[in-house]
Amino acid sequence: MSAISAPAVASKRIRHSSPVFTAVNCTLLVLFTLLIVVPVWNIVISSFSSSGSLGEGVVFWPKQFSLDNYKSVLADSGMWNALFISVAKTGVGVIFHTLFCALFAYPMSKAYLKGRKLYSAMGITTMFFSGGMIPTFLLIKSLGLLNSFWVYIIPALFSYYDVIILMNFFRQVPDELVESAKLDGANEWRIFGSIVLPLSMPGLATIGLFHGVAQWNDFMTTKLYINNESLYPLQMRLYDIIARSQAASSNGGNIGQVVLDTTTRGVRLSTIIITILPILVLYPFVQRYFVSGSLAGAIKG
Amino acid sequence: MSVKRASRKLLPAALAALVALTTLTACGVDNAYTKNTVSALPAATYQAKADQPAWKSDKRKDNKLLWYVNADWWNKSWGKDMVTKQVKKDLNLDIEFVTGDDSKLNTYFAGGDLPDVVTVLDANSRVVKSANNWAYPLEDLAKKYDPYFTKVASKQTLDWYRLKDGKVYGYPSYSNTSQDYKSGAIHASTGFIIRKDVLDAIGPQDFTTREGFMAGMKAIKEHFPDLVPFGFNEFNGGNGSMDDALQNMLGVPTESAGHQYYDRRLDREYLDWLNTFRQVHASGGISDDSFADDNDAFKEKLSTGKYASILIKSLVNQSVPIQTWASKNPDKQYVAVDGIRSSKGLKPTLTETGLSGWTVSFISKQCRNPSKAIQAFTYLLSDYGQMLVNFGIEGDTYETRSDGTVRWTAKANDIRLNNSKSWQNDYRIGEFVLFGHDKYKALNPDSFADAVKQIQAFGQPYLTTQYDTENVDPDVGTLQARANSAISTKWATTLVSLMRSGSQQDFDQVLKDYRDFLGSNRIDEINVIRNQKIQDNRKRLGL
Repeated sequence: MSAISAPAVASKRIRHSSPVFTAVNCTLLVLFTLLIVVPVWNIVISSFSSSGSLGEGVVFWPKQFSLDNYKSVLADSGMWNALFISVAKTGVGVIFHTLFCALFAYPMSKAYLKGRKLYSAMGITTMFFSGGMIPTFLLIKSLGLLNSFWVYIIPALFSYYDVIILMNFFRQVPDELVESAKLDGANEWRIFGSIVLPLSMPGLATIGLFHGVAQWNDFMTTKLYINNESLYPLQMRLYDIIARSQAASSNGGNIGQVVLDTTTRGVRLSTIIITILPILVLYPFVQRYFVSGSLAGAIKG
Repeated sequence: MSVKRASRKLLPAALAALVALTTLTACGVDNAYTKNTVSALPAATYQAKADQPAWKSDKRKDNKLLWYVNADWWNKSWGKDMVTKQVKKDLNLDIEFVTGDDSKLNTYFAGGDLPDVVTVLDANSRVVKSANNWAYPLEDLAKKYDPYFTKVASKQTLDWYRLKDGKVYGYPSYSNTSQDYKSGAIHASTGFIIRKDVLDAIGPQDFTTREGFMAGMKAIKEHFPDLVPFGFNEFNGGNGSMDDALQNMLGVPTESAGHQYYDRRLDREYLDWLNTFRQVHASGGISDDSFADDNDAFKEKLSTGKYASILIKSLVNQSVPIQTWASKNPDKQYVAVDGIRSSKGLKPTLTETGLSGWTVSFISKQCRNPSKAIQAFTYLLSDYGQMLVNFGIEGDTYETRSDGTVRWTAKANDIRLNNSKSWQNDYRIGEFVLFGHDKYKALNPDSFADAVKQIQAFGQPYLTTQYDTENVDPDVGTLQARANSAISTKWATTLVSLMRSGSQQDFDQVLKDYRDFLGSNRIDEINVIRNQKIQDNRKRLGL
C-alpha cells in the first residue's frame, strides 16, 4: 500500500459511518478511559508529593513536588537483589512450569493413553481440594525446600488448570499431521518437540503469561517459607518497607521534633508505581509476541 | 450429560478426594519438644551468681539465637546500629530475627520446629495461654543460668503472667505496675484536643456538657466551614476512640458492686453522649469519611490540621502527625481542654497499658542456647540494657543530670532533629523495644514530641489502672469466645449506626437490636466467665 492511498481509504471509511454513532462512541470511550486513567494518574501524582501535601484530598498535580517517597524506597540496600530474585524466579518459573505442564498435557490429550480418566479425575481433585496451609508447610519442610530458591519453582510446577488449557491446544493439532510424522518414523518425543509444541505456541504463550504474572505478584510463598532476606523478591521487600514505614510513623517517642520526609501512604503509592513499572515497560513487547503467536496459531491450526 | 454418565465421571473424583482427605487427617505432628524440661538441660559453663548478671561471667563466643517476632514491621537488622552493636558485643551474641504474622506462627507450631525465642503481640492469645506446652519456665531457667533475672524482672508482672501451674513462661514489654502508675512515669494518651486558633476564634465554650458540646461544634462550623468540627481515631480495629476511650473520659465504671463485670457499652451516660454525637453528625459536625478513614488517612488529616477538635486516643502513635502540624503552624497547634465529661461529676478514668503490657517474649523448649537466651532477657530488662536501648551510650549520645534525668548530647540532638534517617538506621535509639518500659522513657523529657506534652500533662491527674478487667474475655477457641467475637462485630456496626442514625427513633431501634443480639448470643455465660476472671485477676494482685 502506498503512503498516499492510506489516508484516502481511512477517510472513505469515516464517511460511511454515522457521525452520531462516532460521537457517542468516542465520548463513551473517553469516559471509560478516564475512569481507568484518573485513579492511576492520582496515584502517580500523589507518589511524587511531599508528605505534608498528602491528605489534601484528590489532586491532579503535586502541590509540593518531592522524590522523598522514592528515595526512601530505593535507598533500601536489598532492592536490587530483590529485583534480581523476582526476575529470576519469574523467568525460571515460566520456563519450567510451561514445559512441565506441556509434558503432562501432551499424553493426556491422546485418547489411547491408558488410565487417562483416572489421571484426569486425580487432576480435577487437585483443582477443588488442597492440603491447606499447614500440611503444605509440612510437605515443603520435609522436602527440604525451606529457605531455598527452588521453593518458588518446584511447588508451582504443576497446575491442572493450565494442563486443561494446553490439552485443548494439543487436541487441535490435526491427527493427519501426527499420523504422517509417525509414518516417517518419528517417535512421540519427536512429534511432541518438532510438531506439537511449535504449533501450540499461542497456548504456551498464554500459560507462560499466566504463570509469569502469578510468579511476579506472589509473596505468600516468601512469607511462609523463606526467612533468608537475600531470597526476598521485590514484592516481599516492598511489603517490608511499607510495614516498617508504618512503624516509623507510629514511633513518636524516638523521633521527637523531626518531621518525617514520608508518610506510609506516600511510601505505599511509590511502591505501587515501582511494582507495576516493569510490567508496564515489558507488556507492549510481550503482548506483541503474544498477539503474533495467536495469529500464527490461528492460520496454521 | 445424562445422570448416569455424570455419576460415572464424578465417582473417581469423589474417591480420589476421599483418599486425599484420609491421608491428610492421618498426618500428625510430632511434638517432641513439649517434653523438654529445664532439669534435663546441661549445667552452666560459668559461675552463675545471684548479685551479678550472668552475661558478665559467661565468656563463650559465637552464640546464636533465632528470634521470631510476630510483627511484620519489626526491624530485622542486627549489629549494624549503635544499640544492637553494643548488645552484640556485650553478650557475644548474634541474633537472627525472623518476622511474620499469625499464619507464619501457626506454621511454626504445626511444623514442630520452633525458633529459639518467640515474641507475640497478644497477651490473650492461645499461644500465650498454652505456653507451658512449648516454652521453658523463666524463673527455673534463671535459677539454673542467671539468678540475676529475678532482680530485674518486676514481681507484679511475673505474678500477672503466672499460669495455673504456678510458673511464668513469658515476659512482656511495657508492663506497667501500680508502682509505675503512682510514680508519674506513665503519661496520659487520651484527651479532647482542639486547635488553638479555633479555640480563640469561637470564644468561650463549655465542651464538658452535652448541650455545650453541641453549641461549640456549631460555633466551629460557622467560623471554620472548611474544617471537620469533630474527629476521632480510626474507627476499625483496636485504637478507635469512640469506644473505651470515650467511656474512660466519662468515667464509666468498669465493675459494678461486688467486683462484677459491668457492661460499659450500655451505660446510660455513655449512650446519652453517643446520642449527642448523633446530633452532631446530623448537623454536619462529624464527617462521614471519619467512619471509613484508616489510621494512615487519619494521620494525614491530623498532620494537615483538617480536624478542628478530636477525641484522641493512643497519643504516642499519633505524635508524629501532631508534631508535623505544630512545627508548620505553631499558633494553630492542638491543645487539650476540658471536654466530654460526666454529668454526674465522675472524674475521667484514663488508662494506659496495664500489667499485660504489649509484646510478650518466650524462650521455646527447642532453644539451642537457653542460657544465652535468659541472659539476653536479663540484659535487656536491666537498668544498663534499658538505658542503652532508650538513650544509647552515656557520654556519646546522652548525659545523666544530677536529678537523675537524662539529656541528649549536642551531637546526638543535632542528628535527632536534622537527620531522621540516620537517627533511625545508625542509632536505632528507642526502637529496640521488645523489653521496653515507660519508666525509662520518662527519664528524658525529649522522649516525647513537644506538641504532645501539654496533652499528656493534661490527662495525667486522671490516670487510673484497670487491672481487674484486663484480659477477661473468654479463652480463644471456646463457644463463648466465638459468641463474644460475634458480639464485638455486631457492636462495631452498632456503634457506627448509632452515631449515624437519622432520628431518635432509629437510634433507639439500633440499640434495641443490639440488646436483643446480646440476649441470643450467650451473654450470660460470657459474663460468668468474665466475673470468674475478674476474681482470678484480683487474686493475682493479692487483693
